[in-house]
Amino acid sequence: MVSGKEMGLEEALDNLERIVAELEEGKLGLEENLDLFERGMSLVRLCNARLESAEQRIESLTGELPSDLS
Amino acid sequence: MTKIFTVTELNERIKDRLEDDVRLHDLWARGEISNVVNHRSGHRYFTLKDRDSQLSCVLFRSQGSPNFELRDGQNVLVFGDVGVYRPQGRVQLIARGIRLDAGLGFRQMEYEALKRRLASEGLFDLERKRALPKYPERIGIVTSPDGAALRDVLRIIGPYPALILLSPAQVQGDGAEESIALALRALRGRTDIVIVCRGGGSAEDLWCFNSELVARAIFECDAPVISAVGHETDVTIADFVADVRAATPTAAAEMAVPDLEELRNELIKAEVRMVRALWSGLERRRERLDYLSRSVSARRMSSLAAEARQQLDYVAERLVTVQKERLKTLGTRLEYARGRLAAVGPMATLCRGYAIARSQRGLILRAEDVQPGEMIELLLAQGRVLARVLEYENDEDVTW
Repeated sequence: MVSGKEMGLEEALDNLERIVAELEEGKLGLEENLDLFERGMSLVRLCNARLESAEQRIESLTGELPSDLS
Repeated sequence: MTKIFTVTELNERIKDRLEDDVRLHDLWARGEISNVVNHRSGHRYFTLKDRDSQLSCVLFRSQGSPNFELRDGQNVLVFGDVGVYRPQGRVQLIARGIRLDAGLGFRQMEYEALKRRLASEGLFDLERKRALPKYPERIGIVTSPDGAALRDVLRIIGPYPALILLSPAQVQGDGAEESIALALRALRGRTDIVIVCRGGGSAEDLWCFNSELVARAIFECDAPVISAVGHETDVTIADFVADVRAATPTAAAEMAVPDLEELRNELIKAEVRMVRALWSGLERRRERLDYLSRSVSARRMSSLAAEARQQLDYVAERLVTVQKERLKTLGTRLEYARGRLAAVGPMATLCRGYAIARSQRGLILRAEDVQPGEMIELLLAQGRVLARVLEYENDEDVTW
């Protein structure tokens, strides 16, 4: 698995979905559940952080951006 | 002896020759209008053209106004005579009447032909339309850096965390086709999705999006392409080739990124589901004290319980603000679950008089886990006790 920093939103959300489903299935032992829960929570935090950190990152292939956008 | 003309004499001669030719009088010419100039003198100048050729035209004020506004791109029939404007040696059609041509103009015919050809080559095939990525990380935009379309798109995708790559293009006028195709190719391998767009304009302005060059460049893009050219009613060849056509640049941007509000709600729901699933797991195990088995330490257990409790406060609070009414019942259930959670920690259990029994091999859950004479350990709410096993009964009927 890719480390948290490099993980994209899509991958994080996919993983989160799997973890929630697995937790809800309730077939695992407690320790596995706790591990899953911790991982799930850190993914939620990761996603939230991603969404909050949306400063516009615009680049132009020609290197020049109109003054109102840069 | 060769005669040497002055320019004036020569133009005079050409003028006489052409204007005396009755075959060039009272004629109809069919073509497409471009370069309309409404001169302040009241005369109207324009160029009549077809695929391969063009001719200057003038409609003098004395002829009155046509019953429609002359605009670039119109297909018209012009009635008049050929004349020569001597000061510039310019052959022109001096219009005496003009009307819109109902038939297909050459440009329209070209458009239809290109559309048929590209369709037969499979460029518009539905099977090759690609699905848009749900969460694109790199969004390419091909448009004019100065246009309103770019601002419209950025307004929508701005709050979404992705790298936005602008590939500037000239989206109207001479060279626009090449510029758009080049800008599309420049994004190869760099994006997860491409938006190619421009705002509304005349049919002439949008025409570059009907070119084969642009169509093929879109076709060759390695990422799915959303096209948004002009307004709702403008459909170009680029739209047919693109994976998705959007009515406007704003609509294209909305298709390119997920709804952030929805996404945030999804995350909250995921939290709620996890916390709930964990609790119901704890509830099930409480009776069996199974959660103390294997290597889960009491400390880890209670620190996680504390975290879960905190998470619950946090989630419940946000739920209330986000979806007050709808989740009222859920909030109540969470409140209930919070009460239960306090009761399932190992300390709470030990405080009620239970003890954790373990041997060197781990937890003792069944009588057969021990041997007579073996030393075992009892963990109590406070302290521990070492004990020796006297005997055991492996009787399923033993109850308390």
